[in-house]
Amino acid sequence: MLITELKSRETIEALLTGKVFIINCHGCKEVHFPEKEAEALQKELTGRGIVTGIMTTDYICNPENMKLRLKKHMSEIAMADMVLVFSCGVGVQTVAEYLENKKVCAACDTYPLPGYQGVTPLEHKCDQCGECFLNITGGICPLTACSKSLVNGQCGGAKAGKCEVDPDMECGWERIYRRLKQVGRLDVLKCPVQIRNYATDKEV
Amino acid sequence: MKLSEKFSRGELVVTTEVGPPKGFHVEPMVEEAKEYLSNITAVNVTDNQSSVMRLGSLATCVALKNAGLNPIYQLTCRDRNRMALESDLLSAAMFGIENILCLTGDHTKLGDHPGAKPVFDLDSVSLLYTVGQLEKGVDLGGNELVGEPPKFCKGAVVSPCSDSIDAQLAKMERKVMAGAQYFQTQAVFEPDKFIAFMDKAKQFGVPVQLGVIIPKSVGMCRYLNANVAGVHVPDELIDELKADKEKTKAGITGVEITARLIKQCLPYCQGVHIMAQGWESKVPDILKLAGL
Amino acid sequence: MENYTKYRLKEIDELAPFLAETDKIFVVACNKCFKEFETVDEPDCGEFVKLAEAQGKTVTGSVQVDFLCNKTQTEKKLKDLIPEGTKSVFVVSCGLGVQTIASMVDLPVYAAANSLNYRGHHGMALTKKSCDACAQCYLNMTGGVCPIVDCAKSLVNGQCGGAKNGKCEVDPNKDCAWEKINKRLSQQGRLGELKSQPVQLRDYSKINFKVINDYVQSIRESRFAGYYGGVHPSEKKELCENEPLLRFPESDIMVIPLSQHSGAPAKPVVQVGDYVKVGQVIGEPAAFISAYIHSSVSGKVLAIEERVHPATRGGLSVVIENDRKYVVDESVKPKGDLSTLSKEDIVNIVKEAGIAGMGGAGFPTSVKLTPGKPIEAVLLNGCECEPMLTADHKLLLHYADDVIYGLKAVMKAVEAPKGIIVIEDNKPDAVELLKSKCEAYDDIEVTVAKTKYPQGAEKMLIKRVLGRMVPSGGLPADVGAVVCNVSTVKAISDAIQKGMPLIERVVSVTGERIKKPGNYLVRIGTNVKEVIDYCGGITGGDDYIVKMGGPMMGIQLPSVDVAVIKGTNGIIAIEKDESEAVACIKCGRCVDVCPMELSPLYFAKYHDEENWQGMKDKNVMDCMECRCCEYICSSKIPLLSKIKAGKAAVRGMK
Repeated sequence: MLITELKSRETIEALLTGKVFIINCHGCKEVHFPEKEAEALQKELTGRGIVTGIMTTDYICNPENMKLRLKKHMSEIAMADMVLVFSCGVGVQTVAEYLENKKVCAACDTYPLPGYQGVTPLEHKCDQCGECFLNITGGICPLTACSKSLVNGQCGGAKAGKCEVDPDMECGWERIYRRLKQVGRLDVLKCPVQIRNYATDKEV
Repeated sequence: MKLSEKFSRGELVVTTEVGPPKGFHVEPMVEEAKEYLSNITAVNVTDNQSSVMRLGSLATCVALKNAGLNPIYQLTCRDRNRMALESDLLSAAMFGIENILCLTGDHTKLGDHPGAKPVFDLDSVSLLYTVGQLEKGVDLGGNELVGEPPKFCKGAVVSPCSDSIDAQLAKMERKVMAGAQYFQTQAVFEPDKFIAFMDKAKQFGVPVQLGVIIPKSVGMCRYLNANVAGVHVPDELIDELKADKEKTKAGITGVEITARLIKQCLPYCQGVHIMAQGWESKVPDILKLAGL
Repeated sequence: MENYTKYRLKEIDELAPFLAETDKIFVVACNKCFKEFETVDEPDCGEFVKLAEAQGKTVTGSVQVDFLCNKTQTEKKLKDLIPEGTKSVFVVSCGLGVQTIASMVDLPVYAAANSLNYRGHHGMALTKKSCDACAQCYLNMTGGVCPIVDCAKSLVNGQCGGAKNGKCEVDPNKDCAWEKINKRLSQQGRLGELKSQPVQLRDYSKINFKVINDYVQSIRESRFAGYYGGVHPSEKKELCENEPLLRFPESDIMVIPLSQHSGAPAKPVVQVGDYVKVGQVIGEPAAFISAYIHSSVSGKVLAIEERVHPATRGGLSVVIENDRKYVVDESVKPKGDLSTLSKEDIVNIVKEAGIAGMGGAGFPTSVKLTPGKPIEAVLLNGCECEPMLTADHKLLLHYADDVIYGLKAVMKAVEAPKGIIVIEDNKPDAVELLKSKCEAYDDIEVTVAKTKYPQGAEKMLIKRVLGRMVPSGGLPADVGAVVCNVSTVKAISDAIQKGMPLIERVVSVTGERIKKPGNYLVRIGTNVKEVIDYCGGITGGDDYIVKMGGPMMGIQLPSVDVAVIKGTNGIIAIEKDESEAVACIKCGRCVDVCPMELSPLYFAKYHDEENWQGMKDKNVMDCMECRCCEYICSSKIPLLSKIKAGKAAVRGMK
């Protein structure tokens, strides 16, 4: 559930060497995949006679199914000098790992998406910090709701309740304060000084 | 004085390094440096080495400079983002620091603040590039600096005995491309590997200083082998240290080994960098024994 | 399989201070995602309740919810669930679930768990992390190894000095990413490419959360447009949307199945050797839910026998030798002016014309036209939300007047004051044409719906157009609506105006493996293989499948030697998918796309456990088999066949 966007035309042109085999992954298309742009580009490349084959499929991040589906395209891949993958970074790496002797390139950039469940992007964000701060913030995440990810309260940059980074964005700590007041929990603001622990990313 | 001047005259550049204390009382360290390192071309000052928090590298450089030594300001990318690094480079220029050494830095998890946020906004290559930009009078944001731009002699490091030598050479090449004017190597205990490395590295046309660590004890060597990347102390050297415990304890064996390594490698490189690790007092002996 | 469980209960010393401050706790626990679907009863909820009670706290209740962050569903599930007197809510989930609950209830909400921290997003069916969504993909210069995720320092200009024995300085079990990169590139002879790259500086401003948030907002709106869920498969209409509508040259032998509708097969009323004419009845309804069958050609009845049925319904077919004279039966004559016909007349005409839902379901239309409830609006389904198919589109363009006439007839039959023609926005020419034609009528309007599958499903269409939800087990008439397909009302128009029963229809012959896709007016009983051959046959090897209908709801044909029937809106030849089903990883996508707001993942699990009661409890009978869940399934589980088996078993339970 990532957002993918086509790299610039010049960037993609610069990658091209000889014949190309193309893979499109539509697994996360319900979120975003630049289907039309990708199609237009591929049509043009095909017109130039440099495309040996195109496979459009889903979830190439699942290596087993990716291999099964690639099977019938192996001769087209063999004819190609490179494989151009239209997918998120996960898909490109899965293909690159499988075709490790082929030049495998990414035609897209991948952007992060709030939330990570299902195909519906969520309005909330979780940075997976591994030390949930929501208990002291009335259930509003200070890491994602505050531009600076401050965990000890509002900075001096808020103006009229808006964030200094983006005047359209509400100050996260303003929201936190309001919520705590609403639920009668302002006392939690007297909690000990919070220091983030960046070493929580143990392998899971 | 910039190291590059000395290199360009074809002179041998000898450097060593000191680690700032964990505290702000810098005097004992400065005194020791004055006593033993005054004849050295320049002295590296480490930057929170091994991710252990210490007195700042720049402040220590200033103290050494005031004491008449020629400091090399080491900068790592672990603790500061690009703005802080640029700003500190300007501060260094203001203090008249002329030599710098750009490193990526160890990961925070390896040091005494494992929970700290590892920054790595830049890395050694992009830091070198950044310095180059400042020297052109622009910062990384593309903004012009006011007045005369700073001018540094930019150094970098390389690990000639690394087990991934190709990756190291590739990185070295990128560092050269990004503006590195000299290299100091990770500690060398295997002259053959170093010579082979230099055979490939000489194509870049940038002076390389052989890095050496004085082997203090068998334990230290074992520790290096087990834990320090790109460093391997061969068994023969460990046996040599084992042979005469008293002599080793007195530091004589270590000095002999170091001097011998320098002699073996010197024809292939342009200088020596001695990492004394607290044995700064032995540096003069080493240099004498190595005939420098 | 690796467990991506998103959270872990906080330790007691972390929770104690918060528990100390409150009492009368309600517990909401998420059933987790991204882990193999082994149990429907995750233990964490019980563990936390035990822990809270050990601290002397009263737990007023607890609930375990699937995909807590799915707010639409969570709101419904939690409605009126938190008992009066509850002072705080503890949420056992990742940070997303906690925030979702916190945004819904006015009580203090606490996190009882920590989200697990791992670097990198993990795609869908992946068992390792590999993309950090940096918005500036570096894979092209690194041989497809990600320096952001794989390097502990996320270095983008080469190896640091920390690698030892090819392992990372931070974790000696982890391969040095730059070592891998160098190896991969040198293997491919591309080291030079890397060396010649300019100095790489990461641009952290590429990730602009404001832009992303706005984007997310728009995606959410489009995802929820009209009704919950649904999907947007590649339309692929371009394969034949610009092909003209042509008459298909008839087959010599017509095979007309007596079961082309839901309900009981028709009874044959002709005998072998009889001469039959176009429009002549050859089968009569055998029950209330059944339909007339007519001959589509003139000629001799060669046989009445079992033939392979396209929808594997089995049963008899009437085999007719087409004499190519097309002698029309005497019964075929105009039925008079609509204004003079009573509603009973219309229902009778529709019944006698053998008209059954032509969108594929085949429900006898005359039954639909006697709803027995007041009807507010007749919805005409011209969405054609199935990818590839353009039959209804062509029909709208060629027979707009007939469609409107048929709609009028239906409105009269069910006494509806309003008719609404719904067309998806991917058919602007049809929208424009129908809009201009409808200007003459006050009681007919055209609604343009955003393209989303399964827009054309009755319940979705009603939700989208009228904003009403057909109750579980209910019919459109329960909410005052009758839904008809545009082809069906065109057939009604023919039955009234020409007196011609349903003997032909528009069929799209398409799919990436059909050599020359096209749209044809095909007589019922025509051989599918002949149709395909006429369209140039199949391209490529034997790795294709032929479906009757569209790629989503179409039925895979047991053989191409079958007949075109009333519900045949398409004949498609498409690539066969070579994938294999793997274990469900609770990615939650099926729940997210199910327009009926069901939880298809449970259907798969319960099917495999033969837990039919569980299936029933999860409302499997509400499933309309739109196949959205199977389409989106990241584990490629054949959900539809499991659901069908489950439904059959549940029916058998009664």
